Amino acid sequence: MRVGVEVGGTFTDLVAVEDGKVIVTKVQSTPRSPDVGAFAALTASGIDLAGIEDLGHGSTVATNAVLERKGAPVAFVATAGFRDLLFMQRHDRRNIYDLFYAKPAPPVRRKDCFEAVERMRADGAIETALDEAAVRSALIPALQAGGYRAVAICLLNAYANPVHEKRLAALITEALPDLLVTCSHQVAREFREFERASTTVLSAYVQPVIDGYLLRFENKLAEAGFSGRFTVMQSNGGRLPAEAMRQSAITALYSGPAAGVVGATRQAARSGFKDLITFDMGGTSTDVCLVQDGRPSLASESEIDGLPIRTPVLDIVSVGAGGGSIAWVDDGGMLRVGPQSAGADPGPACYGRGGTSATTTDAHVVTGTIRPAAFLGGRMRLDDTAAHKAFEPLAQRFGLGVEQAASSALQLADANIVRAIQLVSTERGRDPRDYALVPFGGAGPLHAARIAEELGIATIVVPPNAGVISAYGLVASDYTKFDAVTRKMKLDEQAAHEAARLFAEMRARLAAQFADMKLPGDLVYTHTLDMRFVGQAFEVAVEIPADRLEALDAGYISELFAEAHHRTFLHGATLDRPVEIVTLRVGATLPIGLPPRLDREALATKPPERTRIFHGEQWIECARHTAEALTKDERIEGPAVVEGHTATTWVPAGWIATLDAADNLILRRAA
Amino acid sequence: MNTTLNPIDYAVISQALIAAAREMGVKLIRSAYSTILREARDGSAGLMDRHGNTVAQAELIPMQLGPIGETLRACLKRHPVDSLREGDFLINNDPFEGGQHIPDVFIFTPIFVAGRVVGFGASVAHHLDLGGGAPGLNIHASDVYQEGLRFPPSKYSFPHDWNGGSFERLVTANVRVPDLTIGDFNAQFAANAIGVLRVKQLCERYGIDKVETAMKEMQDYSERRVRAAIAQAPKGTFYGEDAIDDDGLSDDPLPIKAKVTIADDSVEIDFEGTCAQVKRNLNCPYSSTLSATLSCVKSVLTSPDIPYNEGMARPIRIKVPYGSLLNPRPPAPVRARMIPAYRVFNAVMKALAQALPDKVIAAGFDCTTAFCLSHLGEKGYSVYLEIFGGGYGASRNADGCDAVDSPLSNCSNAPVESLDIDYDFFRIVGYELAPDSFGLGARRGGAGFLRRCEILKDDVQLAIYSDRFRLAPEGLFGGEPGQRGYCRIFRANGTVEELRSKAAVDLGKGDIVEMFVGGGAGFGRASERPDSLIERDLADGLLTRDPRAAAKLAAE
Repeated sequence: MRVGVEVGGTFTDLVAVEDGKVIVTKVQSTPRSPDVGAFAALTASGIDLAGIEDLGHGSTVATNAVLERKGAPVAFVATAGFRDLLFMQRHDRRNIYDLFYAKPAPPVRRKDCFEAVERMRADGAIETALDEAAVRSALIPALQAGGYRAVAICLLNAYANPVHEKRLAALITEALPDLLVTCSHQVAREFREFERASTTVLSAYVQPVIDGYLLRFENKLAEAGFSGRFTVMQSNGGRLPAEAMRQSAITALYSGPAAGVVGATRQAARSGFKDLITFDMGGTSTDVCLVQDGRPSLASESEIDGLPIRTPVLDIVSVGAGGGSIAWVDDGGMLRVGPQSAGADPGPACYGRGGTSATTTDAHVVTGTIRPAAFLGGRMRLDDTAAHKAFEPLAQRFGLGVEQAASSALQLADANIVRAIQLVSTERGRDPRDYALVPFGGAGPLHAARIAEELGIATIVVPPNAGVISAYGLVASDYTKFDAVTRKMKLDEQAAHEAARLFAEMRARLAAQFADMKLPGDLVYTHTLDMRFVGQAFEVAVEIPADRLEALDAGYISELFAEAHHRTFLHGATLDRPVEIVTLRVGATLPIGLPPRLDREALATKPPERTRIFHGEQWIECARHTAEALTKDERIEGPAVVEGHTATTWVPAGWIATLDAADNLILRRAA
Repeated sequence: MNTTLNPIDYAVISQALIAAAREMGVKLIRSAYSTILREARDGSAGLMDRHGNTVAQAELIPMQLGPIGETLRACLKRHPVDSLREGDFLINNDPFEGGQHIPDVFIFTPIFVAGRVVGFGASVAHHLDLGGGAPGLNIHASDVYQEGLRFPPSKYSFPHDWNGGSFERLVTANVRVPDLTIGDFNAQFAANAIGVLRVKQLCERYGIDKVETAMKEMQDYSERRVRAAIAQAPKGTFYGEDAIDDDGLSDDPLPIKAKVTIADDSVEIDFEGTCAQVKRNLNCPYSSTLSATLSCVKSVLTSPDIPYNEGMARPIRIKVPYGSLLNPRPPAPVRARMIPAYRVFNAVMKALAQALPDKVIAAGFDCTTAFCLSHLGEKGYSVYLEIFGGGYGASRNADGCDAVDSPLSNCSNAPVESLDIDYDFFRIVGYELAPDSFGLGARRGGAGFLRRCEILKDDVQLAIYSDRFRLAPEGLFGGEPGQRGYCRIFRANGTVEELRSKAAVDLGKGDIVEMFVGGGAGFGRASERPDSLIERDLADGLLTRDPRAAAKLAAE
C-alpha cells in the first residue's frame, strides 16, 4: 500500500491507495508538533503501518521554522570585508514609496556573523590563501563561545573553486565536531554572493529542525512496525528518502504546493493531458503552475519572507484569492477581493462562527453554487442568511442587488487568478489556450470554467477527490535531485564540448548520490543551460534535448537560445551578438513507474435535481448532479452543478462535462 | 467618449494595465546589458494615455517615474498624436524640454488599435555613457553640451532609423561603449513592445472605448484618493529648508527653501528663496524638481498602494523661480540633479513634519552618490558606474532602514562576484555597515556603509558626485544628526587623500578607494530610546559606545 500524509496549516490529509482502492482521511492539524497530527491521520484511517511499503510525507515544518524564526542558532562566516553580506542585501526596496521600509530580516543577527581572511578570483585562482592560523585562533573560539548548533559558510567566488570553503569547514568540524556545517558550494554553485549566502544560511538554519523532526518521525514509525520506505516531498516536485532529506533541508521549503502540482499532473496524465495549467484554490490563496509535456515548470530562484533561495523549485505563483478572501471597497471607491482573508476562524460569514466579512465562499452561497446543506458532502452546515447579510453593505454601496454584488466579487476573484495564470503563461511566452486547466483544492472546480472562458481555454480536467490532491501527489511523485554549476564561457565549439563534458560530470555525481541513497534504477536526466547575450545579467534557461547531447554543437545551442530569448522578451532572435553560457544544470529523476490510481468513491446513480443559480445578471434554472453518482461517459450539458464530497464543479452553458475512464471529470467547450 | 464602465470591467482592466506596466519593467531590466541598468536597475517603464498622461507604472525609480508625462507631452507638442504612424517612436532626454538629465533617455512607442493611437508604451533607462567630456560621468562640465548627446523631443521610425538605420549609427558613433548602450536601447524598445502588445490584447478583449475609459478613470481614482488624504491633513502654511554642501567650486552651501500650503483638497509648494543656478552640474531641471516634490508628498500623505499616475499629481501644484537652482536656464549642466532633488525632498519633508509628525521621517543620508571608475584598454573603454544610497531617516515608530538606496531612487548594488567577472581593473575588497554612522534618537537613523575598492591597473579614472560631506542630515524632534560621508584614497605609496564630494582623480595600481556614505538622522530624544534597542545595537556592534553611559556622565 502507498500512503501520502500531507500536513497543512488547518488540516492534515491522508490518501492511501492500493489496487484501485482509495482511502481518504482528513484530521485537524497540530501545528506545535505536526507529527502528532500525521500519526492521528494514520490512526484514523485504520491502516496497518506494517502493510505500508511507501509512505510519502509533506509538512510545513521547514517553512514554519523560517516564518516563525524558530530554526537552530546559526553562525555565518564570509570572506573578510563582507561580514555584512546578509544585511546589505541588494540595496533596494520592495515598496518604493514606503518611508518606514525595513529590509527582510535574515535568520542571524550581526553578532553571529564572522569573517575568514581569504580571496578567490572569479576564474577559480587563489588571490589570497586562507589564513588558517586566524581561523584556529579567533574564529573557532568565537564559534564555540556563541552556543551555535549550525554554521553557514559563504566565501566569495566559492562557486568557481570551493577549496577554501572545504578547508574552512574541515577546520571547524575538526575542532567542533557537533556543529553542523553548511557550505555555499554545497547548496548552490552559482554566482551572486548575497543570493547564495541567503540560501546557505537558510539551509543551515532549518537543517537541525528538519533533521530532528524526521528522526523523531522515523523512530515513531519503526515503533509502530513500519518497515517500508519513508520519503519526503521537496519544493522541486520530487521526493527524497527521509535520510537524504536530513542532509538537504533547504529543498523542504514550500513542498506542499509542489505536491499538489505533481498530484494534479499525474492524475491529468491518466486522461492523456500533458500540457496543463494547474490551479489550487484553497482557503486563503490560489497557487498556479504551468506544466509542459507532463513536467511542471521550474524556477531557479524563489524566496521566503523576502529572503532569496537559489535552488530549483516549481515555478508556482501564488495570489491572494481563496474561499476566505474578503470583498471590500477601498478609499477610492474601488471594489476589491483579497488579499485579506477571513481565514479558518472566524472564517466566512456563512460558517456561522461570528465572521461578518463578505468572502468568496459567502458569494457562492448567495449565488446558489454552494448549497448550505451540502457543503463538504454535508459535513458542515452553512448559514445562508449570514452570507446574504455580509454582502448587503457592498450591494448598497454600488446600487446593486445582493446577488449582483456577490457575483461581482466572484468575478474579481476570478480576475486575480487569471492574472496569476498570465504571469506563468503569457509573460513566459506561453499561450494559455494551448493548455488544459486543472483545478483542485476545495474551491478550484467552482471557478475553473469562468477562468477558462476568460483565457480562451477549451478544456478543463477536474480530478477526483480534488480536495486532497496534494496528499496524492506525495505518493505519485518521482525521486528528484538537481545539480548546477556556474561556468561562464562564450559560446563556441569548445564551449559546447565543455558543456557536454560538465553535463557528464554532473550526471555521474548525481548517479553516485542516488546510489548513496540506495535508490537503484535508471535515472532520467534533464539538461539545461542558463544563457544570455554577452553583457546581459539575467539568463534564459535553454533546455537541451537528451538526444542532442552526443554531438552538441554551438550552432544548435545558439538557435535554441535565440528562440527562448525571443519567446520571453519579444526580441533577440535576429540579434547578431555573441552569446554565453553562464550556468549548467542537470536534473536527475528516478521515475516511480506507473503512479497509483486515484479513483473516486462511486455511489448508486440517481437522477439530477433542479436548482437555481445566479449567473451573469439573472437567476437561471439548471441541473444539480451528485459527483459520486455519475456514470462513465454520461454527458452533462451546462448549465449544471456537479456536487462532490470534497469539491463542487460549475459547468456553465456552452460546456459539456463527462466522467472519463480515469475518473476525471472533463469539461469541454461545446463546438 | 461617454462609455460608462461597470465596477468589474474597471477593476479588471485597470489591474491588467498595472500588471502590463510591471511586466514591461521586469523585462526592461532582465534583457538589459549595462551594469547600471541590469544590476542597479536604474530604469523605469509605464503606460501612457493618448494625451500623454501617465496611466500605470512599473514601480522602479520614483525620480524617473514622476514627470514622465511632462516628457512625453513635450514630444507631442511637436509631433501631435494624430500625425504619428505605425512604426514611429518618440525620444527625449532634453533637460530643458521635459527631460531630466542627459543619461536618462525616454522612449515612447505609440499603441495603434484600428488606426487610432490609444496610448503609449514608455520606458526610460539611465545610459552608462552617452558621450560628453568624460566616460560615464563628466563632473567638470560647465554646460549641458559637455554632458553628452542631447535628443530634443523628436520622432523617428523604428524600421527605418534603428536596426542599422541612420539614427542608430549616429548614437553608436557618439558613445564610448556602443555595445552596451545600443543593447540597453534595444531593451527599452522591447519593453515598450510588451506594453503595446498587452494593451492591444486588452482592446481586443474589451474594446477600445472601455480601455480608454479605464485609463481615464484610473487617473480620476488616484486623484480622488489623494484629495481625500489631503482633506484629512491639518491646513496651513509650513516652511522647510535644507542645503547642498557646495557647488564643487566654492565652499558656500546652496540653500533650498520650500513653503508648503495645505488647502482643503490641494497642496501648493513654492520654492521662492532658493539659491540661484550654479556653474556646475548641481542644477535641477523643472521636471526633476516636480518629481522630487511629488514623491515626497505622495510618500507622506497617502498609503503606498495608491497607483502613481497623472491623477495623483493634479492636486499638487509647484512654483519654481526661473533661473534658480531648481528651474535653471539652458545651457546649465544638470548631471548631478539628484543632489538638489534630495534637498527638495528634505525641505518639503521638514515642512510637512510640522503638519503630520507621525507620517514623516527625519532626513536620511539622502544622496545619490554616483561612483564611476573607467579605464581605457586595448579593447576600448571599460566603464563601471554604481549608485550608492546610505541610511534612511528615523520615524516616530521605527528606526531608519540600514544601507539602502535613498528615497528618490531604488538602485540595487552590483554583486561583487559579477564585478569580478566583468572588470579586470579593480576589485571590491570590503562592503560593510558603518557602526555609529546614524543619528541617535528615540528611534535611530539607518546605518550608512563603506565600499572599498582596490585598483588593479594604472591609468584608472575615478569620478564621483555625492553630498553631505560637510552638512550632516538633521534629526527631527530632538533626534541627533547622522554622520557625514567621505571618499578617501589610500595610495599605494602610503599617502592618504581626502576627496571633495564632487571630484575626479587619476588612480594607479595598488590604490584603494574607500567610499563612505553616512547614516540617517534620529527621531525624538535619544534619552527616550528603549534599553532593549540600545542593547541590541551594542551586541551587534552597530553602536560601539553606550550612549547611556555618556548621558550619565554628563548628568554628574
